[in-house]
Amino acid sequence: MVSSSVRMGSGRRLENHRESLMIALPPVTTLCSFVEQSSGRLSGEVIVWSTESVAGRVRALVPWEVTTEAPALTRSTAWLLAVGGGTLLDKAKVLRSHHPHVNLAALPTLWGSGAEASPIAVLNEDGRKVIRTGPELLPNLIVSHPAFAHSLPDKFIKYACGDAWSHALEGFLSPLGTDESRADLADVLRRMLQQPLGYTPEWFELSALACAAQSKTSVGVAHGIAHVLEGVMSWGHARLCSHYLLPAMSFNKANSPKWPLLAASGLPDNAIFMLLHTLFDNEAYLATLPALTSNWSKVLRDKCTRTNPALIRPQDLEFFTSFRA
Amino acid sequence: MTNREKLQKLIQDVFLLDPSEFSFDLPRSAVETWDSFGVVSLAVGVQQTFGYHLTPEEANGIKGVNDIIKILECKGISFE
Repeated sequence: MVSSSVRMGSGRRLENHRESLMIALPPVTTLCSFVEQSSGRLSGEVIVWSTESVAGRVRALVPWEVTTEAPALTRSTAWLLAVGGGTLLDKAKVLRSHHPHVNLAALPTLWGSGAEASPIAVLNEDGRKVIRTGPELLPNLIVSHPAFAHSLPDKFIKYACGDAWSHALEGFLSPLGTDESRADLADVLRRMLQQPLGYTPEWFELSALACAAQSKTSVGVAHGIAHVLEGVMSWGHARLCSHYLLPAMSFNKANSPKWPLLAASGLPDNAIFMLLHTLFDNEAYLATLPALTSNWSKVLRDKCTRTNPALIRPQDLEFFTSFRA
Repeated sequence: MTNREKLQKLIQDVFLLDPSEFSFDLPRSAVETWDSFGVVSLAVGVQQTFGYHLTPEEANGIKGVNDIIKILECKGISFE
């Protein structure tokens, strides 16, 4: 087995906060360590499935053949190394679930989705978002290679931060949350507040922790809206979550009895909203409103909307269409 | 607005029902959207509307609108 060279999220001391997080993540290793250990000790085939945008760079780093199409896994396949964003990682998780003898190593090229750390896969089926959950979807290993994110445009990096923020905030406020999940996510949120909305390797860890913790609770209406609109607009999930987090949290602050738990956990409103305003883009938000209006009934039926910490009613469309920063 | 009216509006909003589809005898089994997510949404709505936080056992055990009234009446919320 490839062993973890770095343990994330366990036993980490956080200044002024709890001694350790209780969030369980798959073991983490670097790409170099994975290549060394897989080449040296493992018998069986390693298949690498990479997203097109980094396939050339992956080929330069690994000794195995790299495919950009869904690979055929066989009895001799020992590892599937999936390299990409949340969409590819989720597809790899589902593919591996049909081949339980195959180990899945997930290498996220950018943080945000947290797909490498959760037993959840969000699939696009006929323009509809379908959410699958199950332990068979959890990767065996997280492979770290932050350099892939270096060359990405600033706006994608910012959207990725927004995606991670949406997992952490909506997970914290979830009506399915527990004292323990909120304590864990409060630790993550406090650390996220210390990060810039730009490239730092710490975002990979924080995003994974946020997603793993959130996967035990739920997300809310920002995700519900993103899931519906990404099916009808050409906008990505992270971008939509980034722009809808401020209105969603403004709605929750006004309506959810859970909202005061943030301040009680050392996360004051002004710090949270200052961050959310930085993620928000009024012009982009306005451009989404026609699609939101025409798809509101789908938003109301979305599973994430229905686990928002404040009830989203049919008439609440007006809140979102009239919202301005 | 009376508590009965508040409850009717809440049920319609949570389960996306037309007014004509609502009755106080409505069973859970007759409402397609009263699934596990609906249970969560109902619990959130009851807390917002009536200030009572349903326990998971209470929320999952509700078989229809009448059960909600029974639980809330036990907590001193009148539906007379």
